[in-house]
Amino acid sequence: MAVRIVDETLFASTDPPTLRGSRCEACGAHVFPAIGSCPMCAGVDVAPVALPDHGVVWSWTTQHFAPKPPFRTDGFEPFSIGYVDLGPVIVEGWLVGRTQWTIGEPVRLVLAHAWTDDGEAVHTFAFEPGDAQ
Amino acid sequence: MTGHEDVYVVGAARTVFGRFDGEDNDLAEEAVRGALADAGITWSDVQFAVGGTNGETKPDNLVARLGLTGLPFVTVKNGCATGGVALMTARNGLIADGAEIACVVGYDNHARGAFNASPSRYGIGDWYGETGMMVTTSYFALKIQRYLHEHGIDPRTLGYAAEKAFSYASDHPYAWRRKPVTVDEAMDADLINDPLTRFMFCSPDAGAVSLVLARGPRAFDMCDRPVRLASVALRGRRPGSFEVFSTWLSPGERTSPSIDAAKAAFSAAGISPADVQVAQLQDTDSGAEIMHLAETGLVEHGAQTAGYLDGDYLVDGRLPVNTDGGLLANGEPVGASGLRQVHEVVRQLQGRADGQQVPGGPTVGFTHVYGAPGISACTVLTTEGR
Repeated sequence: MAVRIVDETLFASTDPPTLRGSRCEACGAHVFPAIGSCPMCAGVDVAPVALPDHGVVWSWTTQHFAPKPPFRTDGFEPFSIGYVDLGPVIVEGWLVGRTQWTIGEPVRLVLAHAWTDDGEAVHTFAFEPGDAQ
Repeated sequence: MTGHEDVYVVGAARTVFGRFDGEDNDLAEEAVRGALADAGITWSDVQFAVGGTNGETKPDNLVARLGLTGLPFVTVKNGCATGGVALMTARNGLIADGAEIACVVGYDNHARGAFNASPSRYGIGDWYGETGMMVTTSYFALKIQRYLHEHGIDPRTLGYAAEKAFSYASDHPYAWRRKPVTVDEAMDADLINDPLTRFMFCSPDAGAVSLVLARGPRAFDMCDRPVRLASVALRGRRPGSFEVFSTWLSPGERTSPSIDAAKAAFSAAGISPADVQVAQLQDTDSGAEIMHLAETGLVEHGAQTAGYLDGDYLVDGRLPVNTDGGLLANGEPVGASGLRQVHEVVRQLQGRADGQQVPGGPTVGFTHVYGAPGISACTVLTTEGR
């Protein structure tokens, strides 16, 4: 059964979850989500690329107050956000499983429940503790 | 010897910052009339005007209140850097249009709470806001968390910065949050976003600032102690910068528009960061002040903590910083904030600070604004030039 996702264009695949970025053919820069030009070298020859599914925490914080709309939630609890160094690019996303993190610790990509819409679970990408499997 | 190309601040005024129930234009008008009075001129003498706001009002419509003199009035909207950009535009307008006197005003009157930006305005999908990442406070926290780690800085330094800000503000009649806060109170307060507590963030609020600029030697006819705008520089982001609402960052060397703008401002003025005797830095959060001390070249990366502990940034220290309490204590009416910084440095250099005065007659000042989506404007201000 297909999993409902916040935005299909963020993913190269949802099983297993893999993020879809873009790679510049001229300078090799990776960007997430995929875009049609390269902000690093101003090149326009870019192609979609599947990003690595594991990395290390580059920075983190825990959100202690509920963001204003358009934030959607089934009930606010403090949650963590981080930048995860995937190698070719550092990606911002949820850090799930706890609210205290250490820069440099290994994490891997998962799908996490974001909110429920009309009885249906909506998922987003997130990182949880652990090495690549 | 002053030249015709030199531009001076000859009048400065600001409103009290904080919550405000009236119209935005009431604030702006109060500031402009204050600056005109400070310069000893009337609106009819102004030949070029610039207004900055991040709100919905139209600054150029202020002429309906001030007088329909037919002058050119440019509107600026550049996020947190609006004030700096407005000042630069006024300076450039004076030089390019052959005018003698310009007026610049910045103001805003924001709703309570953190700014709530729309993802689409930044070219990001709705998912970014829906999943709770379109939040300015988490950006500042993520940035300082990494910076503290990279430079081995004690997180307690965030508390030192907060204590300093509210200590200055307690003596400043125009500041908003004027109750002193101890380091322990700042560190032990409720977390907003780790590692930043509620005493370590500025809040959007209301306020207006206006400056009158004049070209030399006219400036010296108008003002006993004109302050020379030795340089103003504006820079945008390059690869490697870490900006608000970034879904991704590039690995490798970090850059910053603040580094580039400060370098350009010092270079254009022919002045070294070591010469600065009073400075205003963008302290949207206490971490921002710590980072900007180093990015502007005033202090080495990693040496900031010692500066707080040694009292370097107090009025009788080596490098007084944010002597009006900065954004932490004044809040951030976006359009006014950069001009507030210049207002404070001008008053310090003229020896008539509204709050604590830097002793010994400082002659070189510096201001720095920084904001979304990755722009910075810096000025160097001096008293020499007659």
